[in-house]
Formats: sequence, structure tokens, C-alpha cells
Amino acid sequence: MRIESPRTGARQRNEEAYAALPAYGAARPEGSSYIMGGCGIAGVMNMAGEKVCGDRIARMLSTMSERENGLGAGYAAYGLFPDDLKDLYCLQFLFDDEKAMTVTEEYLKNRGAIVRDERVPTQRVDSLRPPRPIVWRYFFRPDPRSEKFRTKEQSEDECMVEAVMGINGAIPGAICISSGKDMAVFKGNGHSYEIAEHFDIARYDAAMWLSHSRFPTNSPGWWAGAHPISLLDWSVCHNGEITSYGVNRRFVEMNGYRCSLLTDTEVITYTWDLLVRRHGLPIPIAAVIMAPPYYRDIERLDENGKKLAYQLRATYKEAFLNGPFSILVGRSRPEITMVAMADRKKLRPLLIGESDDGKTVYAASEECAIRSVQERAETWEADPGSPMIARVGEGIVRRGIEPPFGVMDR
Amino acid sequence: MSAAERQGSVLRDRFLPFISEDCVRCGRCVKECSFDALVKQEGRIVANGGCVACMRCVEMCPSSAIEVRHAPPQMAPHPTFTGRVRESIIAQAGSGGVLLSSCGTDLPYDVIFDDIVLDAAQVTNPSIDPLREPIETITFVGRRSGRVRLDDGGRLLGGSGPLVAMDMPLMLGHVSLGAVSLNAQEALFMAAEKLNVLAGSGEGGLHPDMYRYADHVNSEVASGRFGVTPEYLRRTAAVEIKIGQGAKPGHGGHLPGEKVTELISSTRMIPLGTDALSPYPHHDIYSIEDLQQLIAVLKESTEYQVPVGVKIAAVHNVGAIASGVVRAGADFITVDGFRGGTGSSPRVIRDHAGIPIEVAIAAVDRRLSQEGLRNRVTLCAGGTIRGSADMIKALALGADVAMVCTAALVAMGCRVCQSCHRGVCAWGIATQRPELTSRLDPEQGARRIVNLFHAWNEELKEVLGAMGIDSVESLVGNRDRLRYLGPNPKLAEIMGIKHIGEGWG
Repeated sequence: MRIESPRTGARQRNEEAYAALPAYGAARPEGSSYIMGGCGIAGVMNMAGEKVCGDRIARMLSTMSERENGLGAGYAAYGLFPDDLKDLYCLQFLFDDEKAMTVTEEYLKNRGAIVRDERVPTQRVDSLRPPRPIVWRYFFRPDPRSEKFRTKEQSEDECMVEAVMGINGAIPGAICISSGKDMAVFKGNGHSYEIAEHFDIARYDAAMWLSHSRFPTNSPGWWAGAHPISLLDWSVCHNGEITSYGVNRRFVEMNGYRCSLLTDTEVITYTWDLLVRRHGLPIPIAAVIMAPPYYRDIERLDENGKKLAYQLRATYKEAFLNGPFSILVGRSRPEITMVAMADRKKLRPLLIGESDDGKTVYAASEECAIRSVQERAETWEADPGSPMIARVGEGIVRRGIEPPFGVMDR
Repeated sequence: MSAAERQGSVLRDRFLPFISEDCVRCGRCVKECSFDALVKQEGRIVANGGCVACMRCVEMCPSSAIEVRHAPPQMAPHPTFTGRVRESIIAQAGSGGVLLSSCGTDLPYDVIFDDIVLDAAQVTNPSIDPLREPIETITFVGRRSGRVRLDDGGRLLGGSGPLVAMDMPLMLGHVSLGAVSLNAQEALFMAAEKLNVLAGSGEGGLHPDMYRYADHVNSEVASGRFGVTPEYLRRTAAVEIKIGQGAKPGHGGHLPGEKVTELISSTRMIPLGTDALSPYPHHDIYSIEDLQQLIAVLKESTEYQVPVGVKIAAVHNVGAIASGVVRAGADFITVDGFRGGTGSSPRVIRDHAGIPIEVAIAAVDRRLSQEGLRNRVTLCAGGTIRGSADMIKALALGADVAMVCTAALVAMGCRVCQSCHRGVCAWGIATQRPELTSRLDPEQGARRIVNLFHAWNEELKEVLGAMGIDSVESLVGNRDRLRYLGPNPKLAEIMGIKHIGEGWG
């Protein structure tokens, strides 16, 4: 006997099941301490400095429909603000209520100047489940001399790190989802196409876009927990599950970061900030630390390479991200940069693409994401642990197929 | 020993060698028994009392005719005044002395390791197959800088070190020459060399014949300073200041005079036949700043070429003490849990002082993390690492390296009869009598230790693979991968691990 599947199909029924789960805005889901799952990632950058319209990234991400189940998606745009705003920190917040917003504004005003603030435009998407948090944007200039900062005389970046960690850890119903210059994150609890529509992504033109859709395995939908996860101008989209999470988390906490978002992606974001911004290491070196070569391969390096590789493995062993991941990492300073890399065993997919005019670079979980917007792109698979690095104005400086110390570019 | 003398000894006969019909009366067992527990009478082998169940006769009997039976003297049963309690009273009433014992405590404390279970990868992250994929176990011992500095050309300006790279997260603990024979120590060193791990020298100095193993020796500087010479500090891979030992926190070494032979006397630089009792504290270390000075002196003496560590016993305030030790400049810390072994210790200390290593590791790891020091130092931990499971759990609780002693001795013959302090070890390990030490072939002993450690390291890889981890550093301190199923959830809380049934989120 054969039983016909209902008209809605298995996929539809799953989503009905998810709909029964509670959903959250900025406030942390009760009882959760760690969220994991599978995902889709996609990124695009115009290396000539021209702008890419947001609908393009939305199309790339939504094409990979097998990789999401409607419990979160997000976009990071880089190089989208006009000249008068791009040198200010742009803080984008999710607020559950007006009170959280008032407290946050008070917090910020005590630590610098809000140069401008505005509601982040959203449009009603009926299929998006409530709650739909308020999304607000502040262009902010921190004042390092403010009495409120625990550390005196620190750089503006450090002031921002302290402020963001402070707000995310202490103000209920408020989460800062991005805090960099000339960049912004748009994310929420829904499918990639719903979030794109909600934020009207197509209204933005940006030099670089990173994006992420989620397939969480054990967690409720949570607006703040969607990717990209961002700190300062760093943002990270991550597909994978870090098996060394406990070790990595302790490492960033030991270095003064406060984890509040329950995901390994948060830890990856802080690790990039620590290694590259604070410790001043070049991006390829940071990549070696997070996805180190095997000792047997290190043994084949020249003396200097060997010495360096051993130093990195021994000194930064807690920053080694073990387990499956592929990540897209963006930053806006000193130039808008995209990093795409996978773990050292390459247990998650990652494909790089370049348009035939050489102006545009793509990175995605699946080839279809790239082909959907650029049919004739040249594509290649990134090697395990080898980062692809592209930069506005410079082009692809590392293709992700070089050996670990092949290109030592900052 | 006469029956009357035995009456006053610590424990009365608890074991009875039973000789079966298969005995061919060759008398080998009588020769093998260094405790005189067997004699030949009228052509038959009979028990003479004093058997400690070292199992030597059983394993040497050509016709497998001996069985050692547990035969505790049966006093009238009493749950509070147990046989053990009454025996102690009787012994002390006779001798008026401190009761001595050896090996780790034999009181039935719960082993917390046994209340911890491991995680494994399923679906959302793939497990890794150690037969087909590389899984790395290289482990560094030494100071870490917390940061690597490069110049604009990407060349190294500063980083960690000095570091010793070991092939596995295991080290052989400190067993001193004196407590054990030169053959036993050579077996340990030889094994360390073959395994590329460190082996502790113990506090008894280094015999010139052992200099060739210098690259794998972790030389101990204890309160007695036995054998600490310029030569000693030049021929070593690491130096470790011994403040305390898990089996006897607050005490120094105890080496009975009968073990101080010519060889021991010359290596330790002490008079022949005298008891070698190390001072309880280092008399140049009465506070943390004194320790800092000794660490500095040893670093100067070794020209900053080898890591200098400090070994402390797991005591109540171990976290804060460890933090002070790191601040005083230690490159590595060894924490020794209260169930750890000893060649000789007052029983009252061995059985009642200190805390279990599982809790101590978690406490030290947490404290050092809170203070931002954990990535500056290597944390070694020992005191009943009985197998790979204990090692794996110790690592996940926060230790970089598991230190192993008793298991290595068992590998080469020891059967944990707890009579080391008597100096007549039938296996040639804890003795200095030439006719006994010659029983131990260092090469054979080393081979068995190598086999054991190899097996544990393979089991480590199996577990790492199952957890989806392909290098051991990603296990260290990864308490998320442990769950507690014991009787006391407070312990789980203190160790920072969740209870079984609690997931990630």
C-alpha cells in the first residue's frame, strides 16, 4: 500500500513545526547557552569600487533554498554610506521595546556623541512571524575621555568594543547587531527572501555584500542570533559547527570579550578582531592560526616558515577553530576586504568565483548562488584552510589555493 | 622477619599464597620472594607469612601452581572500628611511631573521573576517522607569550618559548633514583626517549649513566636539593621545582636509609645508609617572592634554554596558588592530585590531605583563565591517571598534559602491593638490592611503557575523532564535551561541566 503525501509536502510540514517554536527578538532565548546548525553563505564584492545592488545578494542567497529553514537570515553591506557618514561608527540595534531604546541612548550619550539617528527602513512582510523588533541606526562618535569607559585613554575602536559588549551584556531587550564604519548589518528571523524584503535590501547599493541563511538544529528563531555576527567593522557569516567552541570561547573571554550571542560565530568574529586588529597580524597569518597546517606539512616548510608555524600553533592553540566551517569575513578598514575560507579538512563547502571582466568576486556555499547572478563567472574551489582575500581597489590578492605562507599580504 | 616482629608491623598478613598440586617443588618462588613469605620445608613449599601480594611468585612459577588469596584477618565485624582501623591502632600501640605507607591512598574514595562521560559527534558535525585522516597529538610544554609579533616582512619578532614539543600529551612523572632502582629509572628515561615525551627525574639527582637521556629528562629541584649540580642543570630538557606532591602535600621526600646504597649516596651526595628526608618546605622559599627568585635563578643557570616549572600538590586553595606560581614566572605548572603515588609517605597525610585531581584541574584552569594567564603557561596534571579515559577527561577539564607514574611502573612489573617503603621490591623497581634490581631489564621495561603509552595515544585519537576534533589542543579545557553522571551535582558545578541530559542550548 502506498500512502500519498499530503499536498503541502514534507518541507511545508517541517516549517509548520518550526512555526510552533517560540520566536525571539533582541532578548536572549531563555535557557539557551549555545546555538548550532547548518547554513548557506554567499558574498559578492565589486573590486573596482562600483556598487552592487542588494537584490543581487538576496538572489544569490535565496537560490540555495535547501540550506535554510526560515529560522534566520541576514546581510552585511560594506561601503554603502555617503562621505559625510562613512567615517562615523554606524550602530544598528534591535530593540524589543522603547524602554530598551531609551536606556541604550542614555548609555551612548554618556560615552560620546550621537551625530545622527534614524529608523532603519523596513516594510511589512506578512509571512514574518512576530516579534518584529524595532531596528534603529545611530551614527556615533565615541569620546575616549568619557568617565564612563572602564579603561582610560583607549582608542576609539576599543571604546566601541567596550560599549557594544556593555550594551549586549547588560541592557535587556537591546542588541547591537553592527557597529562598524561604512557598514551595516540587516538580519532577522525568517527566510532569506523575507528578510531581504523586510529590510528592502534592494534600496541599498554597496561595494561588498556578505550574507547568510540558517538551518539551526536545536534552537528557536532569534533575530539577534542570526548572522552575520558583527563587531566594529568585522562581520562573519559562518556555516559550520566548531567542535572546539569551549576552548575558543574561553580564549576570547580571556582577552576581554564578552560572549552574549550564544553562537560559535560570535567567537569567530572576536577572534578575527583580536588577531588582526589588536595583535596586528596579517590576515593570512590569522587564517593559519584558525586553520593551522598539519605538523607533517609544517615540517616541509623552510626554516623560517617552520619556526613561525610552530610559534603560531603553540601560542595561539586556543584560537584554532576545530571542526567543520566555511566562513565569509568582511571588514571596511583600511580598505573594504572580503575573506573566504574553510576549515583545514574542508568539511564545509566553499566556492570562489570571478566575473569575466575581473571586476567582481563571489564566494558561496554552492555554485548555483554564483551562477544565478553571473552565468559566465570563472569558479574554483578554495583549498582547505586557505583563505581567499579580495580588496576593493586591489582585486583578488589571494585566491584561496595557495600554500599557507604563500602570500603574506596584510 | 619473625612472627613477633610482624606483630608490630603496620599490617598483619592479608594475603596467603596457596600452592596447588601442580607444584614441581623447584623452589623458584622461594628465591623470587623478596619478602620471605615462602619457604621450603621438608621438600614442600609453604607459606611463611608476610605475603604482600606482589604477585612475583605467581608470575614466575613455571607450573602456574601458585595463587595468592586475599585472606584478611577476620576480627569481629564492626562498621566503624573496621579491621583497618583496629590494625592501625594495634600497630601504633606497638611501635609508637608514624605509620608509613606507599603508592596512592587505598581508602575507597570515589574517583570522579568515573562519574564523567564523553561526548561524540553526530550529524551536525562529522566524526573523524583516525585510520584515514590525520589526528594530531603534539603537545608543547613551556611558557607561552599569549601573542606572536611579526615585523613588516612577516618575520618573527617575538613569541613563546622555551618550549619542549612532545609527541603526545603525556609525561612520565617524577620517580627518584633511590625510591626506584637505576634500572627502573633507565627504563622510564628510555621509554621517554622512544616516545618523545618528558620523564621526571625525581629529586634524587641524575646518575652520569643517565646523561644520555638528557633531552627527555624533566629535572626536579626539590627541597633537599639532592644532586642539583651545574652538570645536572646542563643536562636536562626542563627543570621543575617540586613544592609538593599529591600523596603527601606539605611533606618532603622520604627515603629510608636501607635504600641509600653507594650508588644512591654518590648521586644524591649524601652519606651512605642515612635516611634521606627532604625538608618539608624549601628553606629558601617561605613565600611567593622567594619562589620567584628561585625560578629566576634556575632560568639564569639554564640560560633560558629550557622551561622552568613548578609542581604543587592539589590542595584546597590550589587555584590561587597556581595563579601566584604563574605570576612568579613558572613556564609550566604540574598539579598532583591527592590519590597520587609515593615511594613512602606517612599514611595519615597520604590518606587524608589534599583534593582530587579532577577538581584541582578545573579549579586551576578556571582561575588562570579568569586572570588571563591560562594561555601563558602549560598545565600538567597527575595523581591517578589510570588509563586513556582518565587522561582524556583530565585534558578536557583543562590540563595540557597528563602526568603518569603508577601506570608506567605497573607496565614494567609493579603490582601495586604498596610496600615500596620496605625496599625489597621483588620486581626490582622500588629497591636498591643488586640481586633484586638485576631482575629488571631496562630495555624490556621501556618497551612495555612504550606499548602502553602508544595504546593510550591511539585511544586518545579514537576519542578525538569521535568528537570531531583533529588536534589535541582543541580538547584542552573543552568542558562542553563532558557531562557528569555522578551522585553530587555540586561537583559538576564546581568543575564547570553540565549534567547528563543537559544539551548545548
